[in-house]
Amino acid sequence: MSTQYGFSFSKDKCTQCFGCEVACKNWRDGELGVRWRRVYKIWAGRYPDVKLASASVSCMHCTDPVCVKACPVQAIQKREDGIVVGDSNKCIGCKACEKECPFGAPQFGATGKMQKCDMCMNEVDLAKESPPCVETCPTKALQLAKLETKEKQVIEREIQKLIDATLRTG
Amino acid sequence: MSSDKKEHQLVLNRRTFLKAAGLGIAGVAVGKFPFESFTLDEAMAAAAKAGETAIPTICAMCGPAANCGVYAFTKNGRFTKVAGMKESPVNAGGICPKGQAAPQWVYSPERLKYPLKRVGKKGEGKFQQITWNEAIAIIADTLKRQKEKYGPESLGMLSPARRTYSEYLNRFLIAHGSPNYGHSGICAMQLSFGFHYTVGDWPRAVDYANSDLVLIWGKQPIYSAPAQDGARAYINAKARGAKLIAIKPSMEPDVGLADLWVPIRPGTDAALALAMLHVVVNENLIDKPFVEQWCYGYDQLKEHVQKYPPAWAEKITGIPLNRIVEIARLFATTKRAGIDLGNGVEHVPSSNDAIRAVAILIAITGHLDRPGGNIFGAASKMPRPKSVNMQERYTQAWVDKLVFPEFPKAFQPFAEGTSSAYYGLFNSVLTEKPYPIRAIIAPGSQALVSNRGGKRVVEALKKLDFYVVADVARTADMPYADIVIPLATPYEIDHPFEVRGNWIMARNKVIEPLADYKSIFEFFCDLGVKMGYGADFWGGSMTASMNDQLKPLGMTIDELRKQPTGIKYEMIPKKYETYETVFNRKSPRISKAPFLPQGKVAIYNTSFKEAGYTPLPEWREPPESITGTPELTKKYPLILSDYHTSNVYTASWQRNVPYLREIEPYPALHIHPDTASERGIKNGDWIRVESPHGWMKVKAELYPGIRPDTVMMLHGWWQGCKELGFEDFPLLDGGANVNIMYSVDAQKAFDPVVTAMSSQTLVQVSKA
Ligand code: SF4
Ligand code: SF4
Ligand code: SF4
Repeated sequence: MSTQYGFSFSKDKCTQCFGCEVACKNWRDGELGVRWRRVYKIWAGRYPDVKLASASVSCMHCTDPVCVKACPVQAIQKREDGIVVGDSNKCIGCKACEKECPFGAPQFGATGKMQKCDMCMNEVDLAKESPPCVETCPTKALQLAKLETKEKQVIEREIQKLIDATLRTG
Repeated sequence: MSSDKKEHQLVLNRRTFLKAAGLGIAGVAVGKFPFESFTLDEAMAAAAKAGETAIPTICAMCGPAANCGVYAFTKNGRFTKVAGMKESPVNAGGICPKGQAAPQWVYSPERLKYPLKRVGKKGEGKFQQITWNEAIAIIADTLKRQKEKYGPESLGMLSPARRTYSEYLNRFLIAHGSPNYGHSGICAMQLSFGFHYTVGDWPRAVDYANSDLVLIWGKQPIYSAPAQDGARAYINAKARGAKLIAIKPSMEPDVGLADLWVPIRPGTDAALALAMLHVVVNENLIDKPFVEQWCYGYDQLKEHVQKYPPAWAEKITGIPLNRIVEIARLFATTKRAGIDLGNGVEHVPSSNDAIRAVAILIAITGHLDRPGGNIFGAASKMPRPKSVNMQERYTQAWVDKLVFPEFPKAFQPFAEGTSSAYYGLFNSVLTEKPYPIRAIIAPGSQALVSNRGGKRVVEALKKLDFYVVADVARTADMPYADIVIPLATPYEIDHPFEVRGNWIMARNKVIEPLADYKSIFEFFCDLGVKMGYGADFWGGSMTASMNDQLKPLGMTIDELRKQPTGIKYEMIPKKYETYETVFNRKSPRISKAPFLPQGKVAIYNTSFKEAGYTPLPEWREPPESITGTPELTKKYPLILSDYHTSNVYTASWQRNVPYLREIEPYPALHIHPDTASERGIKNGDWIRVESPHGWMKVKAELYPGIRPDTVMMLHGWWQGCKELGFEDFPLLDGGANVNIMYSVDAQKAFDPVVTAMSSQTLVQVSKA
């Protein structure tokens, strides 16, 4: 497995418009209260030297997904092409994945079963097309790519750094 | 003339669309993907696969200029989804959350269902269902009766944020004989006015593509239309390495992307601009040849600005003296630099002087219509469609009848026609001076929550003889309406065509109207005919209207519609330094006198002087402020102001759209964490915000990027969201309507020339 699908995100282009988040909901009939894709407002520093950055994060489809290891019933799989998918038939709703995931990806809606971004793999032919969240981004801050494992790890680390403080403080 | 495609069936397949619109990504490294343009041909190639259909049309979720091209998808006649149209030069394929959430707006339980007639007391909200024709007849009868008894000027119209239909409102007024087109006095026209009467045009566009430095001042360049060219220009300028300096009280995502944030106290922009002029003039950082050849009154300015040294401005603006000097020098000495001046300066009683001072600063430093500076608009080869407005009918007697001129009578009509300030219309109802407005039509406008002084607006609505609300969904003012007209959304109609820059496109119908709706355009056509103004309303036919407008382009609406993604005209290459032409431009006043009497930049403004206003820009404090009313700061220590634009809502609308409401569920006051902790306030707490004029109950959002002496929130909160279980907020005290918090003192709260209304006051904040 030399390359795998992944999202790339450029914080220097994101206007924090939330287009991607709503596109995901609208195209995938998102349940109210559930956010497969999330746009974060990220603060750093102190007034007046304060910084504001943005991040658009769904499931990162991690190179080494901790959710897969955390799941006691093997309901989450990483596919050859890199996509990490959950199986709601197997999921027992224990939320072990949610606890471990550094990106806040697993979501639990009305059914109590894990749900998250599946890269629109059934809606879109990823070899040629992009999912709606990428498609709608006005500034192309969010993109989908085939990435080398190393490249993907860099992105994972960067996003984690970016959203870490925000996720911890809510 | 070039069009993207000749003639196509308008039905695309959604899957194919995505496919064609997709990226060629395989094997490409991060950040280097080429962007393939979506072409209609590619999409059409395999359009056979059934299931869903895609209709090219134009987004309708924001405004002014809600002109993003979209593909609207339907399944079994139901509007389901939206995607951006790559062919549209406006949005180039992107779409913001509002555009994405359009289906929920269309199917909202808040949609009005049928025309209504009031049966209870005003404000009670008791209505009886009537037919469209009955509603038109009642309105026509009332307006005819009032016209006979009180004169046609007794009718006022509340314009919404500029829409394509704004021109139809004016047309109706002109046909009827009233000059009283109500304009909010807080949006775009104030900037346009100040610039036109100082430099002959509104060089609103900064030449971002060539700029080395842009001051983003009182402006949100990316929120009001995040999918449009303005946001892309901003991002691209940053990528190119242009220096971006943001001057505003709080840090929004655009400021996050800037190089420097200059947190200024709300409402003090004129003071900053005057101090920058002081620096530029005293350090002789001007473009001398330009000033000598093209400016009038520089010597008077030189003397005048001595009153406004940076040390003086520091106290007022809260910006350190050194910073003021630094940005003034940097701007003056950077050759390719511009000022992107926004709406913030239109919400202050010193509005016209702030705008003039900035226009002068741009001019004397040599940044007017030069590469990278503030440029006079680029034109395309598109012949201008015929105007719907009938401005040629204006006379001086007409102007003299204005009930509360938005701009002084000597400067009427201005760009949109003759206009009265919104607030003035309501005030006339209460004071009956100079005469009372008897009827108001409010199409897509809800003054109670979008205009300052909500309490007085309620009083006026109770007293007003006849109030017509025309909208797609329930509005805050609706309980006071005598007649309510339910309108079709733009997704349920096939008109009008829309023009933006060099692009023109016919709107296509996405779904059949969900109820017995007609459009706002048809409303005015029907009413025009019923009033006996049929000759001015194309006999009631929108097709005839559009064909009439399209004559200069040599086509009919049917012909335009055959271009599924519209027509893009070639741009005329931009010429710089077009001073000779622009400085001699005629104004739209009755006299048609030029904007600039000397054919030069009006630093010393003789037109204003003759009309009794100050010839040079001056400083006026907001009605309540830290430096203007220090005696109030003990009880009310913090400055309150509000945001005009949001990434998820348009003005006071769309809180009822669940996917948008989820992003911003509560009215949130941005408060610095230190300011909050001094008051024992934590993030998400319900708080009480109290000014000398009213109080609100909203949530606290601890916001590191705001001046600690300032709190701000988004305006326009009132509506609930049924799907998410949110109730309406109270409209006045105890609610979240920030408009009630401000002074509406006739002497202090308005700009004396352009009637801009103050949105600054002092408040105290405590846990609710
Ligand atoms: S759920 Fe979390 S841990 Fe698992 S792949 Fe997605 S981002 Fe990684
Ligand atoms: S890839 Fe699909 S599921 Fe994942 S965030 Fe984007 S739109 Fe949502
Ligand atoms: S659509 Fe693009 S710009 Fe908007 S929030 Fe998402 S990533 Fe950022």
